[in-house]
Amino acid sequence: MLYGMAFIRIQDVGKSFETAAGKFFALRDVCLSIEGGEFVAIVGKSGSGKSTLLNLVAGIDRPTQGTVDVGTTAVHRLTENQLAAWRGKNVGVVFQFFQLMPTLTAIENVMLPMDFRGVWPPRERLDRARRLLADVALGDQAAKLPAELSGGEQQRVAIARALANDPPLIVADEPTGNLDSRTADAVFALFTDLVRHGKTIVFVTHDRDLASRASRLITLSDGRIVDDTGGAGRVPVGAGPPAAVPVPSAAAAARVDDGGGPP
Amino acid sequence: MPLPPRWRKVWRDLWLHRSRTVLVVVSIAVGVFAVGVVAGTRQILARELEASFASINPASATLQTLAPFGSDLVRSVAAMPAVAEAEGRRTVYVRLETAPGVWTNVQLIAIPDFRAITLDRVLPVTGAWPPPERGVLIERSAIGLVQHAVGDDVVIKTPSGRRKTMRLAGLAFDAYALPYTLDGVAFGYITYDTLAWLGEPRDYNELHLTVAENRHDRDHITDVVEQVRDKVERDGRAIFFMTIPEPGKHPLDSTIQGMLLLLGVMGALALGLSGFLVTNTVAALLAQETWQIGVMKAIGAQRQQIAGMYAGMVAAYGALALVVAVPTGILGTRAFTQLMAGYLNLTVSDARVPPAVLALQVGIALVVPLVAAAVPIVAGTRISVREAIAAYGLGTGRFGTHRLDRWVERVRGLSRPTLLSLRNTFRRKARLTLTLATLTMAGAMFIATFSVNASLTRTLDGMLELWQWDIAAQFSQSYRVERLRNAALSVPGVVAAEGWSYTTARHTSATGGGGSSLLSFSVPLIVFAPPAESRLIKPPLIRGRWLVPQDEQAIVVTTGVLDDQAGLDVGGRLALRIGGRDTTWTVVGVTQGIGPMPFVYANYPYFSALVREAGRAQWLAVVTDRHDPEALGGIAEQLEAELEQAGLRVGLIAEIHQERAEVAAIFEGILALLLVMVGLLAVVGGLGLAGTMSLNVIERTREIGVMRAIGASDLALLRIFVTEGMLIGFLSWALALVVSVPLSIAITRALGGALLGSALKTVFSPVGAAAWLGIVLVVAALASVLPARSATRVSVRSVLAYE
Repeated sequence: MLYGMAFIRIQDVGKSFETAAGKFFALRDVCLSIEGGEFVAIVGKSGSGKSTLLNLVAGIDRPTQGTVDVGTTAVHRLTENQLAAWRGKNVGVVFQFFQLMPTLTAIENVMLPMDFRGVWPPRERLDRARRLLADVALGDQAAKLPAELSGGEQQRVAIARALANDPPLIVADEPTGNLDSRTADAVFALFTDLVRHGKTIVFVTHDRDLASRASRLITLSDGRIVDDTGGAGRVPVGAGPPAAVPVPSAAAAARVDDGGGPP
Repeated sequence: MPLPPRWRKVWRDLWLHRSRTVLVVVSIAVGVFAVGVVAGTRQILARELEASFASINPASATLQTLAPFGSDLVRSVAAMPAVAEAEGRRTVYVRLETAPGVWTNVQLIAIPDFRAITLDRVLPVTGAWPPPERGVLIERSAIGLVQHAVGDDVVIKTPSGRRKTMRLAGLAFDAYALPYTLDGVAFGYITYDTLAWLGEPRDYNELHLTVAENRHDRDHITDVVEQVRDKVERDGRAIFFMTIPEPGKHPLDSTIQGMLLLLGVMGALALGLSGFLVTNTVAALLAQETWQIGVMKAIGAQRQQIAGMYAGMVAAYGALALVVAVPTGILGTRAFTQLMAGYLNLTVSDARVPPAVLALQVGIALVVPLVAAAVPIVAGTRISVREAIAAYGLGTGRFGTHRLDRWVERVRGLSRPTLLSLRNTFRRKARLTLTLATLTMAGAMFIATFSVNASLTRTLDGMLELWQWDIAAQFSQSYRVERLRNAALSVPGVVAAEGWSYTTARHTSATGGGGSSLLSFSVPLIVFAPPAESRLIKPPLIRGRWLVPQDEQAIVVTTGVLDDQAGLDVGGRLALRIGGRDTTWTVVGVTQGIGPMPFVYANYPYFSALVREAGRAQWLAVVTDRHDPEALGGIAEQLEAELEQAGLRVGLIAEIHQERAEVAAIFEGILALLLVMVGLLAVVGGLGLAGTMSLNVIERTREIGVMRAIGASDLALLRIFVTEGMLIGFLSWALALVVSVPLSIAITRALGGALLGSALKTVFSPVGAAAWLGIVLVVAALASVLPARSATRVSVRSVLAYE
């Protein structure tokens, strides 16, 4: 965590794509700072550029112009391969469709990022993955394949996977978009808990209600930030730097509804 | 330590996608199997051929004389400093009765002492050893021909026309003798006592010798043989035939090498095609797992880590293929070696596959798939996370942007499902290209094999046009032409008869004569002197002209003669020693020969006078009124009986269809082997198409769901995919037609050169093309039905949830 300077700094960022119909500008002249420990929701209509912005923050994509700095890293300067290595240690990604490896069990999916980045010694990986699954109330489902889990369960495995290497930043693209409202609530509660434990979370959503529960709401339209509210409203952070293993509250875990969401 | 999760993913992907794994493993295994069998057979045959041939102590040269000679000459040749060993034998041509009234030519070799053969050893197989008096051992490859069992009595006709009953005392193996199937002559072995009993003198007409030094130096051998020849000729014996085999090589060595080279090419082709299949499958696999690659990258996997995972998967395919290909390859090698050994009359004492071949299989099973997969792995793992996770939904595989797509779009008048099949075919162009390449090569080889067969038939027909006779008889000595003609014309069914001079000659400037790539031999020139206006010979002239009655000192030569005489052509002069006389001739024409044997044609009146045989002949050519093999056989028997009755000593009887069968036999084995390899290629091609079609189905699962949702029945879905498969099959057939043309030309040239010493006339085979169309459509339909059936099992609900 960098004190005295914003954790995420986006400066004059533009992003355009070449399409059959010509150049499409997804983002134009975006400037944005996000402090460590903020819980940020990005909203906007389809095509407004919100997923593009999230991808830039996560190092999934690079800007056509401008700079993206996360912590001490100039993300826009990294190659694809350097980005992968950086992301593995610094960013946890949660997708709308969960995107678990279908041929790996829940616990193996959680261990996969550790395997790629080697952050944890091999002997510790299994224990850590078990703890992470227990934290998302799936300790007893560790040996199941994704196809055997409900949508909510899959998304919780995906969150555990995102936390595997203990990254300070979690990005999520429509994390509840494929879940029913009760399951979405439960997943959201997990996020809230993570922020309490010092993680910075940036997520994209269509759901205004969920967005309003974030500490900061950024609205995009036609590739520009048209509204940015609640920047000061940070979720109180616990004492000191983020815990190595965030522990969501038992109440949050209990609220998760396992029955919801499509498989 | 448990396996890390990424390797567990690789392992489970292999297991969970069993049908895909089996498909790829079988494809690689087919290529590795083919290469293993060809390489193994090649090594075993080379090893066994060398051992078997060395064990018989092959002679450096063999000289046959027109007049017999005695032991003194043999001893004096053996005493020459340059000669290590010399041995005399006597060869007589007899006719053996295989069934009542049916006779075949047998070359009987009389050996002075069976227990002390030093050169060109003949080895016992079954029965008595040495053969008893009045007994004969038959070369084992000819036992099928004689149609008698060991222990039976057989009737033979001696050169003097007498009938004798002999005991078929056993079988022998003569590694030096060409198998009956290739040579058309059955060999028999007798003692000198039996020879005397047959009424033949106890002397020699064959001299086998080895040189004392530099046994593998052909030039040195030639020098020594020239000294021996001069000695023999000074002794008053004209040389009839002289052979100098390629030192240390089996007579069929170049034929075997040619066949194995061809099979090697086919094996490599099968391997290459299975490589294509791996490329295709891995490309599709990566395309299918694009989002997984994106997610792995998103959670921190670097490109080399992901590439390593897929390379590991491909290596596992290779390792699994080895499990299949090594044992089947060993069995295949044994079977194939035995087949080749039977065809070539070889004994294989040790059929163990050399470790080097197994190492080769391991190498190619691991390396070739990795090389084949390298491009798709590099390309597939290059994708950025954003592109990877954005690639979902309908429409994988671009259609509509390529010029080809616009042509396809213009196709009108078809039903919507058929249009869908047509356009889907061109959707994945790289995949289509590789699938087409696989099927096209298989098809082109198939059609080319048929074309080679047709070319052979045409060439043989062309060659045998030369002989306008139906039956020919060769005599042990010359007879007056009128006597021969009268005897022949008295046989019912004979409509014309001519007597020709027939002898051998050699260049006076060089030993031997035309080299033959078929036999690895140096052989003398064979001289035929028919009457110039003869209608029983019709040589296919390449250059110059045929003989006219006024010709003196004029000859027409076959291409085989030119091979050995650089610069000789029409107008050139050729110095020949014929029957001990030095003569000079002018070449007036060049003609296509039968096989690689060097033939010379001269004008009968001049030639017969030259060799002091005016009005006499050793060769009788006969035309019959019927030409089917059965009728010819009957007339040949009557002719033989009539000639015998007239006191004419018949050496050999040849029927034109037998001549043809002998040349064709050389090709039949090769064509059969080619067809086996083509079968393997077709299997790889079919697997490739099946793979492509299953990947298409998997890739379009969402589209199938949508089609289902808007009312597509099982049959409609089945039709869409099977039509697409058959369309690919049809396209590959059209391409195979084009590719088969240069391929047919290349193979017929190579085979003609290796086996006949001249190029075959390439003939395109419409039968082959039609047959392949049928086969490829059936294969395509079968390869598409299973994937299409799995498409019909897709439910709308599962598809909407499908990721």
